[in-house]
Amino acid sequence: MQTAKSVVITCAGIGSRLGLGTTKALIDINGKTLIHWQLDLFKDVDDIRIVVGFEANLVVEEVRKYRPDAIFVYNHDYFNTKTGTSYYLGARDGNEFALEYDGDLLVHPDDIKMLLAKEGEWVAYADKRSEDAVYLSLNEKGEVTGFSRQNGDYEWTGPCCLRRDRIKYSSSNVFNVLEPYIPLPGVKIRACDIDTYGDYQRAIEFIKGWEK
Amino acid sequence: MTKFIFDLDGTITKYETLPIIARHFNVEEKINDLTKATVAGQVPFIESFIRRVYILGKLPASEINELLSEVETYDKVVDFIRQHKKNCSIATGNLDCWIEKLSNKIDCECFCSSGQMENDNVIKLTKILKKEDIVRKYKDEGHRVVFIGDGNNDVEAMRMADVAIASGLTHSPAPGVISVANYLVLNEVALCRQLNQLL
Repeated sequence: MQTAKSVVITCAGIGSRLGLGTTKALIDINGKTLIHWQLDLFKDVDDIRIVVGFEANLVVEEVRKYRPDAIFVYNHDYFNTKTGTSYYLGARDGNEFALEYDGDLLVHPDDIKMLLAKEGEWVAYADKRSEDAVYLSLNEKGEVTGFSRQNGDYEWTGPCCLRRDRIKYSSSNVFNVLEPYIPLPGVKIRACDIDTYGDYQRAIEFIKGWEK
Repeated sequence: MTKFIFDLDGTITKYETLPIIARHFNVEEKINDLTKATVAGQVPFIESFIRRVYILGKLPASEINELLSEVETYDKVVDFIRQHKKNCSIATGNLDCWIEKLSNKIDCECFCSSGQMENDNVIKLTKILKKEDIVRKYKDEGHRVVFIGDGNNDVEAMRMADVAIASGLTHSPAPGVISVANYLVLNEVALCRQLNQLL
């Protein structure tokens, strides 16, 4: 399958809350690194763009084993910026639409297929699952109307997809990049965010469920 | 217009050209020692270049020119350059008399260093290319500049360019290159995809 979308995987952060002493991309989940699981999800996508920062060389070496044709994007200021910056940097010289995929996220492979086939702009969300989540609210049309750290109907997990020219620079989070454009079409997916050690253990169980 | 400036050695060619010359004329040891000291930061790049030209300048330039015209190049990269000739140029520290045939083969504008010739030898260096001067020239003309390189002598040009692509096609780019790069590509497919996206 050829796609005109760029997929931007943001792997620049330090992952300090997880406490496993390595960048999240390289943590082992059932015998495969997290980034390897993610690259498998996007194996049919041409334009894979990996935003790197902390331990960039290690991430590059891991990715090149599976996707030597990936484009690596540097977020040199990863310590002072967040995923919103990485999304902007990853998307700005890519294709017309850019799908943002957080480096700490696992999404069910069937849902990734559905998202890749979906046209236009959208925001994906999941049932509440993580320990330290951002929530989102929906209106009656199923559109995403807001993000909150306190409450909401579902957990904001990403991915999301915007037209490249609407992705503006932000030193903050991806949901801050989305906020000026809400309401945006919402899509429910099965996803697992890995921010804490508890999330990590849940991710291992989540992946076992794919095989059923 | 978007201007793409390519480093030559290891970015367009599949191999570094100086070791090829050194091997052909059996002066490998001298050149390798100098290259090692340069990479280790013990000899500044300009000094290293002058000393290398001093060693290699005594060799027949026409034979070097012929030898380098046969160096293997990355086909997809050369195709991109040929298809977008007006947008592309090469910036190399190599001497004009050594790479004339190779650059004619690639077929785009080429900026390089030059020397004074006598009896098919380089007797004096007359210009050492500063790649950042080419970036500045294009920017002053109002162009958006994309620089693709991998070595220490590309760093200042890449810092000044609007978009800097570190090329890891032949070997790992120098740490200085990584520190100023927007992108890193490891094969031709990735490089050409990014170049087309930047057109």
